Amino acid sequence: MTREILLGDEAVARGALDAGISAAYAYPGTPSTEIFQTIQAYVKQHQLDVRGLWSTNEKVALEEAIGVSYCGKRALVAMKHVGLNVAADPFMNVAVSGAWGGLVLAVADDPSMHSSQNEQDSRYFADFAQVPCLEPADQQQAYEMTREAFELSEKLRVPVLVRLVTRLAHSRALVGLSERRPQNETHYVDDPGLFTLIPSNARRAYAKLVDKQAGLQRYAEENAGNVLALRGEGKPGIIVCGVAWNYLREALGEAVDGFNLLRVGVYPLPVKKARALLDHSSELTIVEEGYPFIERFVSALGLFREKPVKGKLTGHVPRTGELSPDAIRRTFGLPVAPSLEVDRLESLLAPRPPRLCDGCPHGDSYRLINEVVQELAKDTRVMGDIGCYALGYLKPYQAIHSCVCMGSSIGMAIGAAHAGISPSLCVIGDGTFTHSGMAGLLDAAREDVNVKVFILDNSIVAMTGGQPSSLSDEALVDLVAGLGVKRPHIRVITPLANKKAENLAVVREELAHAGLSVIIARRPCVVYAKEIKQQQRERAAAHHHHAGDCADCTGSCP
Amino acid sequence: MKFDLVLCGVGGQGVLTTAYVLDHAAVDAGLYFKQPEVHGMAQRGGAVSAQLRISDVPVSSDVISDGGASLIISVEPMESLRYLQLLRPDGWIVTDVTPLKNIADYPDLTRLYQTLFSLPHVLAVDASRLAAKAGVMKAPNIVVLGAAASLLPLAVPSLEKHIAALFAAKGERVQTANRKAFRMGRAASRFAAALTERGVPHALMARVVARLDFDETPAPVPVVEAWSERLLKPDGADLAARVLGSHDLVPLDARLPEALA
Repeated sequence: MTREILLGDEAVARGALDAGISAAYAYPGTPSTEIFQTIQAYVKQHQLDVRGLWSTNEKVALEEAIGVSYCGKRALVAMKHVGLNVAADPFMNVAVSGAWGGLVLAVADDPSMHSSQNEQDSRYFADFAQVPCLEPADQQQAYEMTREAFELSEKLRVPVLVRLVTRLAHSRALVGLSERRPQNETHYVDDPGLFTLIPSNARRAYAKLVDKQAGLQRYAEENAGNVLALRGEGKPGIIVCGVAWNYLREALGEAVDGFNLLRVGVYPLPVKKARALLDHSSELTIVEEGYPFIERFVSALGLFREKPVKGKLTGHVPRTGELSPDAIRRTFGLPVAPSLEVDRLESLLAPRPPRLCDGCPHGDSYRLINEVVQELAKDTRVMGDIGCYALGYLKPYQAIHSCVCMGSSIGMAIGAAHAGISPSLCVIGDGTFTHSGMAGLLDAAREDVNVKVFILDNSIVAMTGGQPSSLSDEALVDLVAGLGVKRPHIRVITPLANKKAENLAVVREELAHAGLSVIIARRPCVVYAKEIKQQQRERAAAHHHHAGDCADCTGSCP
Repeated sequence: MKFDLVLCGVGGQGVLTTAYVLDHAAVDAGLYFKQPEVHGMAQRGGAVSAQLRISDVPVSSDVISDGGASLIISVEPMESLRYLQLLRPDGWIVTDVTPLKNIADYPDLTRLYQTLFSLPHVLAVDASRLAAKAGVMKAPNIVVLGAAASLLPLAVPSLEKHIAALFAAKGERVQTANRKAFRMGRAASRFAAALTERGVPHALMARVVARLDFDETPAPVPVVEAWSERLLKPDGADLAARVLGSHDLVPLDARLPEALA
């Protein structure tokens, strides 16, 4: 067994590779990005025959992985928690159809919202889809549970969700790695009805999924990842799961052995073990990172309370933000250590949030937008979207007035126009536009709504570390035109200080047009200039390779 | 043995690089560790931190509890104060004194230094200038790591080995410069310890060390003696303040303390 220092994300990646995946797909999103990044780098370095790509969005990523699974091979798909919302449709339905080759979703939740807009708990999604969820507590378990997830997926023919949280995803430790399992051979099931969810088949498939539940329950009851330790009749009990176990162990020290304890790492919830814990314990405290998921089951929201259950619903454990050893010390009435105290320290600490880089093209775009917005009606609003340019909310720009979810800006701008703010403006990056902004633009084009869409095309997905955009530059113009935006109202500008006057003129012209305009502010990201060039070369090479007979080939391919 | 420390600074200052060196040295020492970190700040100039928990028994929590850290290693003075909630009352701060003012409301530097140098255990060095002198502008993180080395439960040769490994791909010049940067930090901490040993009050020692021009070899004994004797005179505090106020590195010269009088 070799040992390596790995992030939780890297441990998942290596677990998947060593489980013999044939492909991996992902859309970048903190704190999950390093999973696919690691797979990509490792595959390249070791010349493995593992396919995959940064997909256009999470839904497509999962669909690609489902395709691999239906063909009998193993696939991993990685995303952040809100990415699973985008992939919810295939997720809920592949649960019904079932997996063939091992199909595992690694989903990284972000309690405390270090870089997210909510703290949704992916265990609910696994429960909703009636599929198992594995919740590692540390880096070693992240590796082992990912491997186990593939075995489980093939054994019970279900997709399996591995749930991470930021503190595990982005924390390093030494991990022991075991031998790599060979990949599966391609073997498509010779029964199209199995994966064709037309109602007649879907009813059968869903009944089968329901039938699988007993097996899943048994699996969870017997799994070594769910540890029940009964220390004595009438002692207080604790249910703890995932990384919360680390905090509990830290907070209570040896005293943790004085409690009846159920440590959960594999869902569905091992009900028999929970029952035994309740029977043996005077009361129960439930410590979980995320939503009160287990607590809602066990306490039945207080409807059938037979013993006191303390947790997030009762205010004994913090309801928002991530847990910590100190939070749990407070739950159990234990003292917290003193810190070095300094008078009026706050007055010396200015916040230092991330900001747009020096020379960032988005800065120029926002200066432009702010200037024209001042010329418009007072209630003009700029709908924002997700990416580096969300930093435009902060000083010195303060240029956007909303940011909800990937690709939402165009839809919101249409709504704002319908609500009477006309024109309404929105900004969206090239990566977010292809991720899920295109459908909104199609709506805007169909009705020629008076919306001014600024696509900030910096040729890369910058915020998560420079992953390739699905499409940018001239191809983006063609895409926008293809979605129905009239060519004369697709304007390309170069967001640079010395071009501000002409850019202002272009934007004012479009503001004078009472219909849909798309203004593409095109300038490559200053940080990833090298990567953008490399990606452009690769794209051109791929184009040349696949399209030797390309009619409009300029011959400039390398 | 249980040792928690915080590494901090601003995106792009090499905080996570330092963490990498420490992780590997912990493995060399046969110790357990967990090391959480903040990602995504490298280009955006936001506050960055990593934590490292080293122990001879398995580490439970990835994150440090309040009042649990023995040491804060910072590449920026204001950032060195951001995580004080995590520091034990007897914990150390090792930091670069050079402010990075990429925000509009950076606090008044005089007040910042006043607070920093009033802390009971602080070792501040002019890591940015020392790094430049070593030949790598980007190495203040390595200078402060060197300055903190004697406080760590890790072997110095192991730290040097992993610094070398880290820069192996960048060629011998960068490797040598980083080793030099590390050793300058080491020399600063030895000098600080020597002054303390000779009875120089902590606040004076800390102010002086923050501007001295250390070499990669330890300061010669006569130099240590000249500085400690001078700082122990009645106007020692005044001298220390003047050294800290200097706009450049102050030579580590045995004749200088008298000349400054």
